[in-house]
Amino acid sequence: MNWPFLLLDAADNNSVANYFPIGIQLIFAAGFVATMIGVSQLLGPKRKTADKLETFASGIENHGDARQPVAIKYFLVAILFVLFDVEVIFFYPYAVNFRELGWSGFGAVLMFVSFFLIGFIYIIKKGALKWED
Amino acid sequence: MNAIIFSALAGVVMMYSGIITSKKTVIKYIAAIALVVLIAANLLQVYGIWQISVDTRDMLSFEKFGLVFNTLAFTATLIYVLLSGKEIENAGVNVAEYFALIFFVLCGVSILSSFNGLLMMFLGIEILTIPLYILTASDKRNLRSNEASLKYFLMGSFSTGIMLMGIALVYGATGSFALHTNAPVALSATGGIKASFLEVAGMILMFVSMAFKVSAAPFHFWTPDVYDGAPGVFTSFMATVVKAAGFIAFIRLFEGHTAILGPTWKILLAFVIVATLLIGNVTAVFQQSVKRMLSYSSIAQAGFMLFALYSSNDMAKEGLLLYSVAYSLATIGIFAVLIKLKDYAFDDFNGLGKTHPALAFATTVCLLSLAGIPLTGGFFAKYYMLASMVKEGGPLWLLIVAVLFAAVSVYYYFRVIQAMYFKEGTPSVQTEITSGFKAGMVLLAILIILLGIAPSLVLNLFYF
Amino acid sequence: MSTIQILFFFLTALALFSAIMVLVSKNPVHSVLWLIVVFFAISGHYVLLNAQFLAIVNLIVYAGAIMVLFLFVIMLMNLNSEAEPRKHIWMKMAGVISGGCFLMVLVSLVRQATDMQQRTALMGSGNVGLIKNLGKALFSDYVVPFEISSVLFLSAMVGAIVIGKK
Repeated sequence: MNWPFLLLDAADNNSVANYFPIGIQLIFAAGFVATMIGVSQLLGPKRKTADKLETFASGIENHGDARQPVAIKYFLVAILFVLFDVEVIFFYPYAVNFRELGWSGFGAVLMFVSFFLIGFIYIIKKGALKWED
Repeated sequence: MNAIIFSALAGVVMMYSGIITSKKTVIKYIAAIALVVLIAANLLQVYGIWQISVDTRDMLSFEKFGLVFNTLAFTATLIYVLLSGKEIENAGVNVAEYFALIFFVLCGVSILSSFNGLLMMFLGIEILTIPLYILTASDKRNLRSNEASLKYFLMGSFSTGIMLMGIALVYGATGSFALHTNAPVALSATGGIKASFLEVAGMILMFVSMAFKVSAAPFHFWTPDVYDGAPGVFTSFMATVVKAAGFIAFIRLFEGHTAILGPTWKILLAFVIVATLLIGNVTAVFQQSVKRMLSYSSIAQAGFMLFALYSSNDMAKEGLLLYSVAYSLATIGIFAVLIKLKDYAFDDFNGLGKTHPALAFATTVCLLSLAGIPLTGGFFAKYYMLASMVKEGGPLWLLIVAVLFAAVSVYYYFRVIQAMYFKEGTPSVQTEITSGFKAGMVLLAILIILLGIAPSLVLNLFYF
Repeated sequence: MSTIQILFFFLTALALFSAIMVLVSKNPVHSVLWLIVVFFAISGHYVLLNAQFLAIVNLIVYAGAIMVLFLFVIMLMNLNSEAEPRKHIWMKMAGVISGGCFLMVLVSLVRQATDMQQRTALMGSGNVGLIKNLGKALFSDYVVPFEISSVLFLSAMVGAIVIGKK
């Protein structure tokens, strides 16, 4: 197989070759960024004064450490997000087989979603997503 | 299937009960009713009257053994809720959630008692343990509870990782998740067993992980810290129903597989049993806190339950059921009294025999049962375990070691009895002791004695 | 050496190197970033094995969502490289020795296992990992574990509320 034709074949069959364009894209994107940073480093003028080397913080003098403990609320939202994210993942295989699975598949998904809905209503009722307490 | 579905639904009901009502006592009674319904639903399936039949594609198989264990585990939970319900109410603010998590644990228990494939086993273990991590951390303001939960979570997820590795290797070797319980074992020309290396390694990894879950030495290090750090009520649940379920899963997993592992299996298991008995019993002797002593004693009792795995015949299965009941009831009883006291030291029991004779009597019966004194349930439990081992042709030295350590255990259980009857003092009771609680404890004691006189009460469930 | 083999060795080296970097990085945030590289390398392996859905899920869930959680936890606990407790050298040695023994056992196992010899992975062929076949298996053969896993999600939600909410 000639590699230029891989691009043409990609749409037809489901194989690793499908990922060839994505690979090219990735290499190109990473390469572009690396080149740009490198070239600007090489060609650009350098005036290293104390003020220039300071971390940019919108013109305000920076103070303290950036690593400060965040509120637990972010964490709660994040973990709930992960749970629903995983739920959504299960929809892809269902959506692809929507017709073939018929009513039994629909029932299975409905049950799964209703369990999640129960959980979601519970979360709302408990006020876990309320930002201001 | 009834047990799995109803326990999951009961968990959902409990989640919402906290939103509907804020009265903690009401929530407790809803939980008790849900447990009764759960037991009833399970019994309907045990006797084949009614069941929700689902095509599980042979991933779950509902045999009498697992279903009877479900009944016993749910009944033990009901007794636990009735005796220690007050403390669950006081454990924290999210009472309804605690009950919901307990029901999810029971869902895990009922999966573990009937899985027929590694996938379901993994799912069951996860459903069993994840609520436990949360229950351990339920005393949020207490640093020790947090520490215990984090330790439990990190070590528990690590051991789950080892189990997944084992499952992956077994899957790689056999190409399926099914437990080949009756598969013939191919013998090589030299008479050795020609099993796949991958499968053997996978089984050993799963053994390590399961030994961790039931806190068998040398994988027991988490147990004292977690049992000690968790709120007392939840330690009681973890050390009883959950541990017994772990053993059921253990024996289901290894029943038909021991031939693959060859003669080394018995040596490995004998080593683990002796180490567990040694560490559990000897360390328990030196403890100053009753709660910590009980957590070491739970390691020691795990050593005895491992005999069921060693012999893994029908008698061992009967014995395991009996052991689960006797051990769970006794431990639930002791914890129910222990968490009524202000502190967990031995001295807090001083003079309990004078001020609360009924409670002291019930506690004594529970302790005697744990020690395995005749006329209590614990005696026949230990007897069945050892007898099944002898029947299977186990070595004599193992029997002697087990009996020796049972004798050692008498020492630390009697320290509590001694404190109750022979030491002066006033026990510092934290929560009020109602007459209902006393009656419940005495009934529990009578139940344990009844088991000691007629163990067939439980064993008949297995056959009729 | 075919393209797939070259890719395989490249991804394996990348995964191993980044996994080691996760362990040796002093800064926990760097560890998390290296872990993301590990996930990308593993996803690359999945693509090579023609398990494309798994590759994408691995990226979305692990590299995306769970790594964000990891970062949150690290920020929540305010871990600094200075605050990290110094472990005793014997502890480290014990870890290295026991881990090394385990590695040795696994490697010798794979070398000796009769059912692994003269077999290679199905590279770039086989349709099991494709989303359509995966969906069919999930919603027919594995529908019971699929439904039961929702109990696991529910208990995780309850847990998040119990622990995370004031």
